[in-house]
Amino acid sequence: MDAITVEKLTKKYGDNEVLKGVNLKIAEGEFYALMGPNGSGKTTLASIIVSVRFPTSGKIEIYGKKPENAKELIGYVPQESFSSPILTGKENLMYFAGLLGYSKNTSEKTVNELLKKIELSEDANKRVSDYSGGMRKRLEVATALFPGIRILILDEPTTGLDPSARRKFLGLIQELRKERTTVLLITHIGADAELASRVGLIDEGKIIAEDEPERLKKVSGLRDVINIETAIKSEKVAKILGEFSEKKKVLETDVGYRVYCKDVEEATPEIVRSLDAIGCKATKIETEKPSLEDVFFKLTEKMVREVS
Amino acid sequence: MGQITATLGKTIKEFLRQKTILFWTIAWPILWVLIGSFSFVENVPSEVVSYIRGAIAISMSVFALMTAGMANLPGNIAQDRERGLLSKLMSMPINPWRDFVGRILALLAFSSLAAILVTLVGYGCGARFSYSLIGLLQSIGFILLISLASAGIGMLIGTFIKHVHGAIMSGVGIAVVTAAISGVMTPYSSLPWLLQQFARIYPISSSSSSITFLLVGEDYAGYNPLSANQTTLTIVISLLLFIGGLVAYSRFCWRKE
Repeated sequence: MDAITVEKLTKKYGDNEVLKGVNLKIAEGEFYALMGPNGSGKTTLASIIVSVRFPTSGKIEIYGKKPENAKELIGYVPQESFSSPILTGKENLMYFAGLLGYSKNTSEKTVNELLKKIELSEDANKRVSDYSGGMRKRLEVATALFPGIRILILDEPTTGLDPSARRKFLGLIQELRKERTTVLLITHIGADAELASRVGLIDEGKIIAEDEPERLKKVSGLRDVINIETAIKSEKVAKILGEFSEKKKVLETDVGYRVYCKDVEEATPEIVRSLDAIGCKATKIETEKPSLEDVFFKLTEKMVREVS
Repeated sequence: MGQITATLGKTIKEFLRQKTILFWTIAWPILWVLIGSFSFVENVPSEVVSYIRGAIAISMSVFALMTAGMANLPGNIAQDRERGLLSKLMSMPINPWRDFVGRILALLAFSSLAAILVTLVGYGCGARFSYSLIGLLQSIGFILLISLASAGIGMLIGTFIKHVHGAIMSGVGIAVVTAAISGVMTPYSSLPWLLQQFARIYPISSSSSSITFLLVGEDYAGYNPLSANQTTLTIVISLLLFIGGLVAYSRFCWRKE
């Protein structure tokens, strides 16, 4: 049975159409990642599924029910840090247990189990303001793991987390898959989306591609990618690198560029020579397998993430 | 543990743990009770000093109730909205009305605590009251009206001012200014005619005068706020403010787009 079914979903704000006929099916127990840049409509789609916003048209079903009648089945973790910083981790969870109608004794037992699951038992009585970003995010995920919740919807959960906290957080999500929890992960980070069993790429309110991560890469036709770190970044450098890249497309990264070549071994020395000729030193060159962000770039000529 | 109890517990803990809230709602009125009880009674006949101190304690208790409703409540609402908690709550199988009742009960409990502490400090400074049991019960009724009117104004602020600091500072500003110009913090008799009319319409001021009338005496209230017309006006406007705030909160804060 499908956990989430979305058919021909549209959402308009005045003349601005944010979602343009989205179709989506997520099976029970599936880990689905919806990846797209800011403003692509992914958060709007999630907020309609969790019944925080109305759709303009289209149909949504959660285990065959309308979203407003299936709220008890969904655990939603919005992008913002919604836990109260002046309450302790345990007090925050006790608050949510109370909202869900748990008795005091059952709350205590359930909350202790949740704290253990998210590895926060030892810090349960610390105020959330003393938590790291990763601890706070794990606590917030716990609010969506109370018994009875069958679908977990996470909106950009790893944004702002350091690499170690991010890995720990994603480890927790992987653990949940073993319990047959359906997970919908909203993200703009390719490495996070790679963990999903299926990925949907969303751009300008439409899902433009959808498949298993490896199949998406294969179907895109992308082969090896040259990752180049340069001493300087400029339009001139990008233009030179474009000459070596498929369809003259290069992806700008935080530290340099990604070049999509057909023959990496042949292109690499030529790239170094061309950059030297304009006085730009390549500080690091490495060959990588294409990522989901590369696939998105190939399909849309847009970056999923802003370059900082 | 129900939804109301959960919201009540969370909100009251948040009120009690925030230094800004404790300062404006409890420490600030107590400071003024201490200052007023000793500096405003020079050259005053000794037999009335304790009643003036009583009137000051009542004024500052009313100010504590005003700050709790007008600044703490909207601050709490704005904070929950700003950090995404309201979105989270809207996705859960919960009833917005129960959330509202929990918040109001927390406000009433915290307001009462603040008012009791301010009154006790006033008592410690020599404030004395003369009252009957009926007068005391009526005063409790007026305290409730002040809390409801303040909560109504607070919900309007919390609904329309989105940012936490903006909501808190707007509430504090409205509380300070209206308390100053409506006779809550200044004697009614010293107000110009126009502000005396405002003091009669502004339900927090007329309730404050009613409590002073009941617990200290008519001379200290400045007029008789317990006439049938005045009392009706006070009750009606208090309830209108509360209902207005409630409608705005439920329509706009919990509205699905």
